Amino acid sequence: MSTAITLADSDGGEFGAARPARVIVQKARSWSVTALVSVVAIALSVPLIVIAWSVIEPSTEVWQELWATRLPGMIGETALLLFLVLVGTLVLGTALAWLITAYQFPGRRVLGWLLVTPLAIPGYVLGFVWIDTLAGPLGAREVRSIWLCALVLTITLYPYVYLFARAAFREQSQRAVDAARSLGCSNKKAFWRIVLPMARPSLAAGVALVGMEVLTDIGTVRLFNVSTIADGVLRVWFGTGNRDAAAELAVLLIGVAILLIFIERLARGRARFTQSGARTGLRTQNLSGSRSAVATALGWGAFTIFAALPIFRLVTWAVEAQSTNQTSTVSGDFGFHLMSSLQVTLIAALACLGLGLLLAVAPNRQRASGSWLPRLATLGYAVPGPVVAIGALVTLAAIDRLGWLPEGWLLVGSFLGLIYALVVRFLAVAYHGVDASIAKVSPSIVASARVLGAGRYRAAARVELPLAGAGVIAASALVAIDIFKELPITLILRPFGLETLPVWVWQATSESLWVQAAVPSLAIVSIGMVLVAALLWSLERGATVAS
Amino acid sequence: MAINFPFKRTLTFSIIGLVGFSLSGCVSGTESDSVTSPADGVGISNGATVTVYTGRHYGIEPIFERFTTETGIEVRFTTGNDPELRERLIAEGANTPADVIMTGDAANIELAADAGILATVDSDILMQTIPAELRGASDNWFALSQRARVVIASKERVANPPTTYAAVGNSEWKGKLCLRPSTHPYTQSLVASLIIAEGEERATAIVQSWVDNDPLYINSDTDIYKAIAAGECDVAIANTYYLGRLLTEDPEFPVGIVWPEQDSRGAHVNVSTAAVTANAPNPEGALALIEWLATDGQQQFADANFEYPVDPNLEPSQIVSGFGEFTADLVAVRQLGANQPAAVRVLSFTRYE
Repeated sequence: MSTAITLADSDGGEFGAARPARVIVQKARSWSVTALVSVVAIALSVPLIVIAWSVIEPSTEVWQELWATRLPGMIGETALLLFLVLVGTLVLGTALAWLITAYQFPGRRVLGWLLVTPLAIPGYVLGFVWIDTLAGPLGAREVRSIWLCALVLTITLYPYVYLFARAAFREQSQRAVDAARSLGCSNKKAFWRIVLPMARPSLAAGVALVGMEVLTDIGTVRLFNVSTIADGVLRVWFGTGNRDAAAELAVLLIGVAILLIFIERLARGRARFTQSGARTGLRTQNLSGSRSAVATALGWGAFTIFAALPIFRLVTWAVEAQSTNQTSTVSGDFGFHLMSSLQVTLIAALACLGLGLLLAVAPNRQRASGSWLPRLATLGYAVPGPVVAIGALVTLAAIDRLGWLPEGWLLVGSFLGLIYALVVRFLAVAYHGVDASIAKVSPSIVASARVLGAGRYRAAARVELPLAGAGVIAASALVAIDIFKELPITLILRPFGLETLPVWVWQATSESLWVQAAVPSLAIVSIGMVLVAALLWSLERGATVAS
Repeated sequence: MAINFPFKRTLTFSIIGLVGFSLSGCVSGTESDSVTSPADGVGISNGATVTVYTGRHYGIEPIFERFTTETGIEVRFTTGNDPELRERLIAEGANTPADVIMTGDAANIELAADAGILATVDSDILMQTIPAELRGASDNWFALSQRARVVIASKERVANPPTTYAAVGNSEWKGKLCLRPSTHPYTQSLVASLIIAEGEERATAIVQSWVDNDPLYINSDTDIYKAIAAGECDVAIANTYYLGRLLTEDPEFPVGIVWPEQDSRGAHVNVSTAAVTANAPNPEGALALIEWLATDGQQQFADANFEYPVDPNLEPSQIVSGFGEFTADLVAVRQLGANQPAAVRVLSFTRYE
């Protein structure tokens, strides 16, 4: 390792000089891996291809009608919402991450954890809490606005940017900042010129995830009467039963998402920022007196408004539900719902992580397939949950019809089928996190390992992954949290006798029984906070090990 | 080459899958399954278990439990949204484990009937208990309870509430009206009933007059009732059973029901329904459940959610009886599904949110 570090330079070009003699073996292995990756990518994109099939014969009439009525409004509201939430989460997430990373003030460590908690609160839960709270002072009409919707989405989604930003700041070396300082930069200037640009790939990855979440959200936007394209897909589909037209609208959504990914790549630019050697992390600056008080107030104020108040509201509702005995569930008790949720989350998150690693490490980046296969495999994140669910449903049902499985075995309504659909939807979260971290590992370190005799996968396992460790753990925790609060796919594809906590929330909220929804909502938030804690603990540990 | 091989194979595989899917979709669509009341001894794969997909889930479990106690037939069920359960049934085709599908509105069961996934049922019990207007045209679905969607108004602030759906559009209610967004099937069915009774042109004018009143759109009937109580609006359109729930909590709840269209076709009613699926593994059990829900379980099924029974010989629960007698627009019920796309069109053109 130490040799590798001394060999490394901060800007590594492709290290192609020393090719091992076992080139034929390598090539064959590389082919079989590409084949494997292709199979994975195609298997995961079939549900979307099934949906996209309808574009071949466009439903011209429906489109003309939509264009004359709701479509311009949908596009406008989607664009505005996207803009507001992207800017909001970028500013908020980066600022809070910097506050926690760079400054020392009372309660910093605890706050670093607490600031991620809004991620554990599903948007539709936070939405109905805020509507209920603000309807009094603001009025029921004023509360249902795109601005408040953007605010709620910003609050639930900024932790994506925050986490990626923190990981990026943590992985940075103080050396670069010191160098900048020695060349006459102020601390502030060093932040803008060194720290922030080096964090850019991570920030872009975080913001891209936020963008996908906004594009595919249905629960939250409906609470605020915001009519987005995703809402329109379900409107057309379930209102008129016209699946083809709905699918075409979903394809438009995928188009917007691809544009977003393209912009992300553009934001990352051709630049490839890698770290040289050990990540010492950035030095924290001790704040004193009034500045410390300001930092403390900012951090704790943000936490109070974003998480503490809504959670307090949920707690009062939960108490009310307990006292009026409104905690009944449709089937099974609390522990049963909890175990169902944990079971699904654990298996699906592991599947996402495994495939995410495969896609990030295996494809040969020098080949075109190396870049488009992962994109194909992760498109599901750009498609609203219910659409993915129906795509997966149709795919699985088609396989069931082939009769290849043993008598009595069906994929639809099976645990495996559910996991498959969840992976289709959420692989992107794991993949992007893993990929962004691996991209930051200097190619010259990897090349050094190769020169010292390690094969490509050995180098990945022994060098790239440990160095990207923090990012990999962050990605798995993120994907776990996403799956833990997932509703539409679980609702449609869950096997008999599997009822997750979000399904319980849905049972209550679909009948406007907010009080009854409080207990399972709180459970989602609590477990989510445990996942968040595990995540941050690993991040810190990862940082310590690396240094 | 090694790159291409698995790619081609998987693509071929998925194409076979797609073709297979569409072919068998055709087959199950043309099947005309028929279930008759006396069990004809078809092999029941699930023993004595009935499997139910239900879009209606409020208070459903105790009802199924009582059915099991009384008949010894176990019920296995999954909940979901009506359209999604229908899509699942269509996709599963002959492989479906579902014996019964239950929905919370008429349009969704009609769309399921159109998709060819419901079985025609020959049951004397159901024919005798359920009025013809509240069954599918070819006896392939059956209403189990009626839900009236009516005008509601503040008891404190409104002396002369509107008595027709059209009058809700009068300018005196401008800024004082609450409505449910058009994404919800209740809104779509109501507009479909307007189209059936008054034609698309007149229905468009009525919906336009609502929209011109600048309504506050709230995606929850309960919250609409609460908005009137809180003074956010004076008049609204909502289902009656939510008032039943609110009155249980607060007998003095200050919102009242106005039965609309009583001098003409009657108040708009929708229905919650049940049907035997075309590929039910246990059609006898399915029919037994539906017959029980229409007879022995009927009162409990309707009362659980403060709805109106479909059996005209039964009285609604005490709270619901307190809402008074009314004439219902039963003629429209069967046509709600066919008119739903037109309703969505009207809602779009009038920019109803």
